[in-house]
Amino acid sequence: MASSLKSAALLEQMKLHFATEEGKKLTKKIGLVYQLNIAPKKLGVDEEIYVVDLKEGKVTKGPYDGKPDATFSFTDSDFLAMASGKLNPQMAFLRGAIKIKGSISAAQKFTPDIFPKPSKL
Amino acid sequence: MAMRDLVTGGAACAVPGSSSSSNPFGALANAILGSSSKTQELKGLPGSAVNVPEASSDYRPAAPLTTIPGSEYESQQDQRPDARTSEFLHGFHSTDHGGLAEAWDEIHRSPVFPPAQFRENEAHFEEFERVYNANPLQPTWDGPPQRVLSSVLHSFLGSDQAGVPFRPTALPVLGLSEGDKQCIRDRSCIMARHIFADKSEEYIQSQVNALLHSLDIDSNHQIRGSMHGPHSELEGYWNESQGAMIPRMPNPVDGWITEFSQQRENDNPAAWANSFEQMHGANGWASEFEQDLKMGHMRDANLANLAAMEQSRMLAQTLGQNRDPKFQLSRGTDNWVHEFSKEHQRPDEKWVDEFSKLNMNDWVEEFGQQVSEGAFGESSADVWADDYDKYLDDQLRASKQRSGASRGVYVFSDMNPYVGHPNPLKEGQELFRKGLLSEAVLALEAEVLKNPDNAEGWRLLGITHAENDDDQQAIAAMMRAQEADPSNLEVLLALGVSHTNELEQAEALKYLYRWLQNHPKYGSLAPVQQADSLYYADVARLFNEAAQMSPEDADVHVVLGVLYNLSREYDKAIAAFQEALKIKPRDYSLWNKLGATQANSVQSADAILAYQQALDLKPNYVRAWANMGISYANQGLYEDSIRYYVRALAMNPKAENAWQYLRISLSCASRNDLFAACDSRNLDVLQKEFPL
Repeated sequence: MASSLKSAALLEQMKLHFATEEGKKLTKKIGLVYQLNIAPKKLGVDEEIYVVDLKEGKVTKGPYDGKPDATFSFTDSDFLAMASGKLNPQMAFLRGAIKIKGSISAAQKFTPDIFPKPSKL
Repeated sequence: MAMRDLVTGGAACAVPGSSSSSNPFGALANAILGSSSKTQELKGLPGSAVNVPEASSDYRPAAPLTTIPGSEYESQQDQRPDARTSEFLHGFHSTDHGGLAEAWDEIHRSPVFPPAQFRENEAHFEEFERVYNANPLQPTWDGPPQRVLSSVLHSFLGSDQAGVPFRPTALPVLGLSEGDKQCIRDRSCIMARHIFADKSEEYIQSQVNALLHSLDIDSNHQIRGSMHGPHSELEGYWNESQGAMIPRMPNPVDGWITEFSQQRENDNPAAWANSFEQMHGANGWASEFEQDLKMGHMRDANLANLAAMEQSRMLAQTLGQNRDPKFQLSRGTDNWVHEFSKEHQRPDEKWVDEFSKLNMNDWVEEFGQQVSEGAFGESSADVWADDYDKYLDDQLRASKQRSGASRGVYVFSDMNPYVGHPNPLKEGQELFRKGLLSEAVLALEAEVLKNPDNAEGWRLLGITHAENDDDQQAIAAMMRAQEADPSNLEVLLALGVSHTNELEQAEALKYLYRWLQNHPKYGSLAPVQQADSLYYADVARLFNEAAQMSPEDADVHVVLGVLYNLSREYDKAIAAFQEALKIKPRDYSLWNKLGATQANSVQSADAILAYQQALDLKPNYVRAWANMGISYANQGLYEDSIRYYVRALAMNPKAENAWQYLRISLSCASRNDLFAACDSRNLDVLQKEFPL
């Protein structure tokens, strides 16, 4: 709750998801480490950094201690849109809406189906 | 790179329909001759096109004219144009434009126009008159000449549609300034080439000359020094810009391409110009343009101008000939176009070939190389293009939705059969009870249209949307309910819930706190506090006190449950909802809340049981169906999730989230064969494949 980003809620869910069967499968399927720099409004401004570690199956806050396979820069709403399938990451990249560093092939594996979807009260 | 030059060159020159502020024509033309209101959507007014040189003949039949901004203007204008217009019409008439009149009729397909101010007899000019009068606001430049001008241009455009060549007409002096004339000349050259793309060069040339002759414009006219009238400033700009070949102007330039290609969708050249006008008022132009001028630099006027014109003409032709849907762009993709013009495109596009003739080979090859190296994956190029199509469709769809609802503005449905119903509220309540949620929405909308202060109408509308899995509309409706009845507890709770779902934590907390403050029994517990200084811990503590005060009050437990969801103390949330359910076991929405909480704390199997309870109580509970789908998908049971999503969508095809999730599940289940059905929202096919 320390974060005001909506993405934080999603990433919390991701964290919990890793404890499940399905979550564990992800580490076998992908096995890569992604760093996410998420900005509230404008890319690069006031970013919060998260690491989605699909090697060990965990989500942590703060820069990765090591070299992530790919680093993404998103805005809060774009990350949400991406995780829910509303935004195609490749298209977003071409538009300049997200920035990607690192391995392109790793980046390509960062798709909406990785993320558990939030249920609505 | 040739493309960039082409693009920028074209944009800086007289390219009609350009949204680029580097286009002096746009600035000048719009400023001088008035332009359509900026606030228009694409559904905008055909009539608003009247004032601009490129006045298009795109009259979309379905244009909802309730959004006409110009009625004030209309009344100002009703006196003066009479004499002028009659004169003009006589002139028009006398040259025997029978064919043209028919063309007019064809063009003016739309019957829905504001009442004409004219007493014009000629039936076949009636619609024309009405259009004429439905002006948007640009009071700085008023008077008949502009209308005369626009009508001439209309007929010019229309002449293609009817296949009737435009004939020179002796028109009354329109008082066009030098700037105007050049504007019109250049723009019409390009426009003509575009419209008459299938005709010969001589034809095009003669048409243009006819038009110019009518307008008394010398086809070789160049701007000369003297500025006159109130528009000297603008003419000045335009002059400068004729010299200013501004090579690096990402947004306007690309905006132009966007604008242009956007119109390819409509397959109507005039629509292109029209849409452009609609989107940029004179103010937007002038100021944008000023900014860009500062960035630009001056060069030799004539040379640059001609070169640019030629380039832009080629570009227009090329783009005009390309009807490939891949070239369509949605709005708001200015940045994309920027990127695009730098880097990527499908190498095998026909128009890309065109461009390579203009030295595009470099980056095309580069891209091709990347693709073959697998930069985008195995079936890269196709997947990319397909994805892109889908992205565009989604963006288009989503932006329509978002534009209204996400700003908290309620978006009413079109074509509401319940408008005019004697008691829509009652009807709505009945439909809601029966579980016909989408129908209930319509009836309730009719109610609130009739009685905008009916809190109950808005409240029920909000609830219905929430149950239909649309939190944005739910919020919009609930906000109205709250305005009408600020202390209504149900409304406050509903707002808290919807905001929680939208992950808007601060907002949610605010409403839940207000619930407490407004509660007759617990209000005393809550000191009056600013929203900013609210902390979960404090609020939760207060609620716990309330719960101790009245343990049999289910509502307090419900609010606590929602609060704990916010703070992600899921176990406590689950406990709270279970308490509430002990008191109200037949409340279907409580079962859903319980299920959702369990699902979010990855207890998906339990969640499914809870949802099932909810659905037993309310079989048409779209939200619960969608949540079911989510819980299956989160467990990797994709085929099952598909069935549930499809069921939810069958009940509410407007559930956007569900469509996206469905697609993801299809992909995970390796049912890419159904992507097309999903993208085209073909529920029949999907239901056949995945019945429950």
